Amino acid sequence: MLDKTAAVIVTFNRSAKLAKVIDALQRQTRRPEVILVVDNASTDDTQDMVISRAQEDLSIRYLRLPQNVGGAGGFHAGLKTAYEQGANYFWISDDDAYPEPDAIEKLLSAIREFEVQNQWRPSFAASRVEWIDGSLCEMNTPRPVWDWPRFVRPGKAWALVDSASFVSILVPRWAVETHGLPIADYFIWFDDAEYTRRLSRSYPGIFVPESRVIHDTPDNRGVNFGFVNDKSLWKFRYGARNEASWRRREGGMIALLSYAYGVHQQMKGANVPWKLRRNIYAAILGGIRFCPSIKNV
Amino acid sequence: MSLYQNPEDYINQEAEKVVSIYKRLYPSRELRLVFKEGRSPILGETSVIEGRAALHHGQLGAEYLGQINVPGSSADGVPVTITSTIPRLPLPNEYRQTAAPWVPQRALKPVFKLSPMLYEQIRYIAEMLRKKRADRRHLMTALPLGKGSALFATPTAPVSSKKPSILVGMHWLEVGGAEKLAFDTIRWAHEAGLRVFVVASVAELQRLQDKLPSSPDVTFLRIDRYLPYHLWPHFIEELIRAENIRMIHIHHCPPLYDSLPQLRAIAPWVKIIDSTHIVEYADGGYPRVSAVWSNFIDIHHVISGELVDYYRDRFHVVGKVKLGRMLDRDSDMQATPEFNMQAAQTSLHVGFIGRLYYQKRPVVVMEAFRRLARWAKRNNVELTASIVGEGPFLETLQGLSRRYGLQDRVTFLPADTNVPALLEKTDILLLPSNNEGLALVCYEAIGHGCIPISTDVGSQYEIIPPDLLVPLSPRAAVRQILNVVDRLWREPAFLAKQKQDLVKAWNRISSDMTAREVLMPIYLDAAVTED
Repeated sequence: MLDKTAAVIVTFNRSAKLAKVIDALQRQTRRPEVILVVDNASTDDTQDMVISRAQEDLSIRYLRLPQNVGGAGGFHAGLKTAYEQGANYFWISDDDAYPEPDAIEKLLSAIREFEVQNQWRPSFAASRVEWIDGSLCEMNTPRPVWDWPRFVRPGKAWALVDSASFVSILVPRWAVETHGLPIADYFIWFDDAEYTRRLSRSYPGIFVPESRVIHDTPDNRGVNFGFVNDKSLWKFRYGARNEASWRRREGGMIALLSYAYGVHQQMKGANVPWKLRRNIYAAILGGIRFCPSIKNV
Repeated sequence: MSLYQNPEDYINQEAEKVVSIYKRLYPSRELRLVFKEGRSPILGETSVIEGRAALHHGQLGAEYLGQINVPGSSADGVPVTITSTIPRLPLPNEYRQTAAPWVPQRALKPVFKLSPMLYEQIRYIAEMLRKKRADRRHLMTALPLGKGSALFATPTAPVSSKKPSILVGMHWLEVGGAEKLAFDTIRWAHEAGLRVFVVASVAELQRLQDKLPSSPDVTFLRIDRYLPYHLWPHFIEELIRAENIRMIHIHHCPPLYDSLPQLRAIAPWVKIIDSTHIVEYADGGYPRVSAVWSNFIDIHHVISGELVDYYRDRFHVVGKVKLGRMLDRDSDMQATPEFNMQAAQTSLHVGFIGRLYYQKRPVVVMEAFRRLARWAKRNNVELTASIVGEGPFLETLQGLSRRYGLQDRVTFLPADTNVPALLEKTDILLLPSNNEGLALVCYEAIGHGCIPISTDVGSQYEIIPPDLLVPLSPRAAVRQILNVVDRLWREPAFLAKQKQDLVKAWNRISSDMTAREVLMPIYLDAAVTED
C-alpha cells in the first residue's frame, strides 16, 4: 500500500562517516524516497559534502540547524520535516551506522507482514545493530516486553520490544501522528528510549533480526553509570537528568528513587570517584524539576 | 493588441478567443455564450454554469452584446452556459505604460513635507516589522506529495501526432525583470523546436504581447481575462491532452502553482520547471510560493546565489535548484573592465539607473546626491549626477531636486537613454534599493568601468565587494554612501582594492552558467519526438 519512506540521519562533524551512510542508503534494495540529512551546525566539511551529493541525487534533502541542538533536537527537527514532506514511514538512524543493502527492505516488509498476519500494527521496527566486529552492539540492544515471543515463528523471529535506539528503526506515520515527536529538550541520551516507549503505548515495536546495520562506534560498551569518567561525565549527566525526568513522569517519586538507587549501586560497584558521583546525583535531582513538553505534529 | 483597432473587429476577435477557450475546456459539450461589454479596459468577468441556465435581466442590460451557440459533438452532454464580459478598448492614456504619480500616505504627508528621509525611515521600519512577522503568517514548509499506491494505475502520456509543446505561465506581459526572462524562455523554447502556449495570471492590457515570436507555433491564450480561477486546472489538463504539452515553465504565475495537484495526479509525465527572482520581505514572494510547491516541481531555476541558499536553508531543497544567471554570454560578458574613477580627481559623475518605484528608493538616492553635493563643495570637486528612469516617483524627485537646489547638477534622463554610453562616463553608480535579486545594472556598470555602491540586500553581495555594500536603513545607507565615496576619492589604495575586488566578482559571475545554458538542454530534451 502506501510506503513512501524518508530516511532521517542526524549528523555532527563526522562527514567521512556520514558519506558512508549515504553510500549505504544509495545501495539499498528498497531505496528511501527521501534522504533527509539533519546537520547540527557542523563545522567540518559536512555541508559541502552533503550539498555536492545532493546535486547528484535529488532524493537527498539537507536541513542545516542554526546551532547544535544535540541528537534529540536533531531527530525532533528531522522527523518533523520528514513528516511534513508526506512520508508514510520514517527510517531513523545515526551518522555512523551503515545499513546492510537490504536493511530497509527487511524492516518494511516485516512491519507490513506482521500487520497482515497478526492484525496488530507495531509502532516501530528495529534492526539488529552490530558492532564493527559483527557482535551485538551493546548500547543499541532493544528491550523486550514480557510476552515478547507471542508472535515469534521460525523464520519470522519478530520479538515484541518497547524500547530501541535511534539506530535503524522504522516508524510508521500513524505512530508519529498519535504520539508526537521525540523530545528536543533532552539534547542527548534517552531521547530514543523515551520516544520508543511512548510509541509502545499503542502497541510494542518489533525486533527484526534479519535487518542488519553496522554501528561504527569507537568501542562496544553499553550504558552503565559505572563507566562514568571525566571525559564522558557531560553525557552521563544528560542521561541521568533525562531518565530521572521520565521516571518521575511515568512512575512518580517512588520510580525516581528506585532509579536513583540503581544508579548509586552501579557507581558504587565500579568505585566511581565521589566528585563524579555528586555530579550524577545533582543531575538526577535536576530531573525532578525538568518537565519538557511533548510536541505533536 | 493594437491601440488603433476597429471596435467591431476587436469584439469579434475577443469573442473568438472566448469561444476557443471554452471549446478547449468542454470539447464535446454544447456551449451557450452570452457576451456583455465591459466598463473596464482590463477585466473581463466570466461566469460558467454547467447546465442550460435561463438568462436573467442582469445579462441583458445596457451592456448586452449578443450570444453565440456552439453545438456539442455528443448529444447526451450537458450544455454549458458562459456569460463573459469583453473589456472595452483602452483609451490612449490607458494604453501608455503609466502609473499615477506617487504621493506620500495621507497621514504621513506632513512628515514627508518636513523631512523626506524621516518618511523613508518610518516606511523602512514598517517593512522590517512585516518581514519579522512573515514567517509566522505564511506557510514555510513544502507541501507533501504522496507517492500513491501501486494498487491504482498511474496515468501515462497519451500518444499524440502533434509536435511537442510547452506551456509558459507568466505573471503578465508587461515590463519587468521576470517578464524579460519569460520572453527569453519563450524564444528559446521555440528555438528548441517546441510549440509554445503562453498564459498570464494577471488580467492586464498585456502591452508586450506583440513581443512574442511571430509564429503559428506560439499562441497566447487569454485565460487571464476569460477563465475563472477555479477552472484553470481543468483547462490546463485539457490543453495538455489536446496539444501534447510535455513541459510547463512557471514564471510568477499563481494559478499554475495552484493547478499542480491536478497536474501531478492527472498528467504526471509533464515536466514542471519554475523560475524565481527575488525574496520579498513581507511574504517571501514567489521563491517562497515555489518552495512550498517544491515536491510538485521537477526543477527550480533561480537567478542568484541568494535563492540557492534560500531553497536550501529554508526548505532543504538542493539538487533540483539550478542557478542560471540572467546574462547573455555573447553580449553581456565582455573583456575585463577598466574603471573610470581615479583618486582625487577634480570632477565626479554619479548615476542612478532604474525604474522610479519605491523598491529602488529614489528618495534615498536624492538625499545621497544632496549630501554628496555638500561633500563635493568642501573638497572642490565638480559633482554632477544623472537619474535614468521613469515611474511614479519622477515628479517627487524633480520636486526634491528643486527643493535641495540641485537642478543644475542633476539631470533626469528617460528610460530609453543609451545606458552603456552613460556608464562609460559615470564614475559611481548608486543603487540603495530596498530589495533586489541580483541587479544586473551593477554587472553592466562594472563592465563599463563604473563603480557600483549598493545596499546589502538580496544577492548583491555576489557582485559588490563588502566595502561597497551599505546598510539597508535609509539614514545609515546615506551616511555610508558618503563615507565610501570619500574613501574612494581620498585613498588610492582603497580605490585600487575595490577595483580589484569588483573585477574578481565580475569574473566569478561570468563563469557561472547562464539561464539559457541551464534551460536550453531541458527544452531540447522535451522537444524530442518519440518515433
